[in-house]
Amino acid sequence: MNSKAYYGQYGGQYVAESLMNTLEELDQAFEEAIHDPEFMKQYHYYLKQYVGRETPLYYAERLSEKYGTKIYLKREDLNHTGAHKINNVIGQILLAKRMGKTKVIAETGAGQHGVATATGAALFNMECTVYMGKEDIERQKLNVMRMEMLGAKVVSVESGSNTLKDATNEAIRTWAKTAEDTFYIIGSAVGPYPYPKMVKEFQSVISKEARKQHMEVEGRNPDVVMACVGGGSNSIGMFADFIDQKEVELIGVEAAGLGVETGKHASAMAMGEPGVLHGMRSYLLQNEDGNIQLAHSISAGLDYPGVGPEHAYLKDTGRAKYVSITDVEAMDALMELCKLEGIIPAIESAHAVAYAFKKAKEMTMDQSMIVCLSGRGDKDVNTIASYLAGEGYLN
Amino acid sequence: MNRIEEKLQALKKDNKKAFITYITAGFPDYNKTKELIEAQEKAGVDIIELGIPFSDPVADGPVIQQASYEAILGGANLAKTFDCMKEMREANVQVPIVFMMYYNTVLHYGVEAFAAKCKECGVDGLIIPDLPFEEQEELQKALNGADETILIELVSPVSKDRVPKLLENARGFVYCVSAMGVTGQGGEFHKQVKEYLASVKKVSKIPVMMGFGIRTAKDVAPMKDLIDGAIVGTHFIELMRESNFDAKTASEYVSTFKKELNELD
Repeated sequence: MNSKAYYGQYGGQYVAESLMNTLEELDQAFEEAIHDPEFMKQYHYYLKQYVGRETPLYYAERLSEKYGTKIYLKREDLNHTGAHKINNVIGQILLAKRMGKTKVIAETGAGQHGVATATGAALFNMECTVYMGKEDIERQKLNVMRMEMLGAKVVSVESGSNTLKDATNEAIRTWAKTAEDTFYIIGSAVGPYPYPKMVKEFQSVISKEARKQHMEVEGRNPDVVMACVGGGSNSIGMFADFIDQKEVELIGVEAAGLGVETGKHASAMAMGEPGVLHGMRSYLLQNEDGNIQLAHSISAGLDYPGVGPEHAYLKDTGRAKYVSITDVEAMDALMELCKLEGIIPAIESAHAVAYAFKKAKEMTMDQSMIVCLSGRGDKDVNTIASYLAGEGYLN
Repeated sequence: MNRIEEKLQALKKDNKKAFITYITAGFPDYNKTKELIEAQEKAGVDIIELGIPFSDPVADGPVIQQASYEAILGGANLAKTFDCMKEMREANVQVPIVFMMYYNTVLHYGVEAFAAKCKECGVDGLIIPDLPFEEQEELQKALNGADETILIELVSPVSKDRVPKLLENARGFVYCVSAMGVTGQGGEFHKQVKEYLASVKKVSKIPVMMGFGIRTAKDVAPMKDLIDGAIVGTHFIELMRESNFDAKTASEYVSTFKKELNELD
């Protein structure tokens, strides 16, 4: 066992033998890169000039007034391409270039990571293939078109449930075949080591900025930091710089879909058990035979039956708390954020906002919380429209 | 002695190569599984890989994925496969049987309980493609070096400097994956397959088997001096599906392959 690959009992490298040397090379290249000032300078250059960082830490005045505590929104929705996903893509694609790879592949659920990868590939002149479940292609047509406009090839995955889990399986299969010249850009804080560590490193910019920004205004750390959790990339980025700040309460918000009691949800930590999927050991939704169960959420980006291994560790150690928000609660919060603050959030992010409203009830005006607004809701307007029309949604 | 090791030793003594096939358990049902295993044993197959269906078979191509999916829909699972094994062993089926499975299935069952059950039901070996050498400690501890059930090591064309480490304590046989990627890519072996097999053969103290992309004995003719046997999975599943799981077709395929494999020139 490679102990550095583990977060407590979670993580590891559960991949085919043919990928073990690839992971070792990747780990070495990654460690060298993040300790190379030139590499980090380049990374931050693109984050500033291309992505548009830093993103604001916006004091949501009307929400704060209504809910009786200071609510700050970390505006990852204002990034180029509309979500936090690009932070990680810029990092990994610079690493891919540094390693001499010419092709990149990615999996995508909602399409945000696919769009970010296609964008990065265009910027750095790499050949890009994105694997996406057939079901997700249907419900995220706009993002499919974007990826194609950006020059990426979108492969429709028709196996199993036709969603993110299966797209990830297919990307792993392709990677095992082509690792000699292809770099697999994983978008979430999942996968075999060093991926969870890489994604955290490249997303930690969220909390580094937020902590500094909050300090400038409030002169202290926030009381609560909150983010939605699918695989867990925006949340691990939002938590990263606060994990050692013991006084800060960390809350991850999973999707409860129709309600965790209905079985139709995506709350791997609330209802899952530890197992192995996609190269990692972590909490997974499983059935009585140990087969992976389909996740369910109105939000394609949270529709994943597992969670990143560091989150599993943070849960077990009690450093972070994980809660669940239903489709209905998330949609109500989404509409409220639109009306009170003029911000249309991604449905994923609306899960964090919904729990923020609940949490605010136990807080006072002297306290503050930061909610990660991981993405914007433009991609979701079709889903929102059919939800509001009472037609249910494509899922 | 382990049943796989015993069989391979006997083959070595006779200067014969091993022939190994793969079928998915419970595909299309357990009666067929038993019938096909028994027919193959009679036809002289040396070892059978029995696939435990899993929802996310990342090491498999479309053919075995589909077989796995249909088996699950038909109610196949690990517990029923153990029952099937037990019944076959009680009916005196002696062919060595290796479970090909994914690690989550083991974890869900419980590693200790799984190892004990394998022993009880006469499962001779395990092939777990998502459990690389570095992650095997937990399972090896549960298997406890006993002869009943052994873990088979997989080696890939890019394993290179890892090979000595992988083979140091390996038992049974070495499973050499002939190509990068997943099962069932049909005849496209890795471009340096011969150099690769030769390098494994050089350090291996146990028989070297080649699998992935093999359909007929002739496919392995160029490698015949470098391997001790061949494994056919995807093609065999296709053949079974086309013949509507006909036991006679399975027997004929096995005896023909075996005969040709040992007459390659």
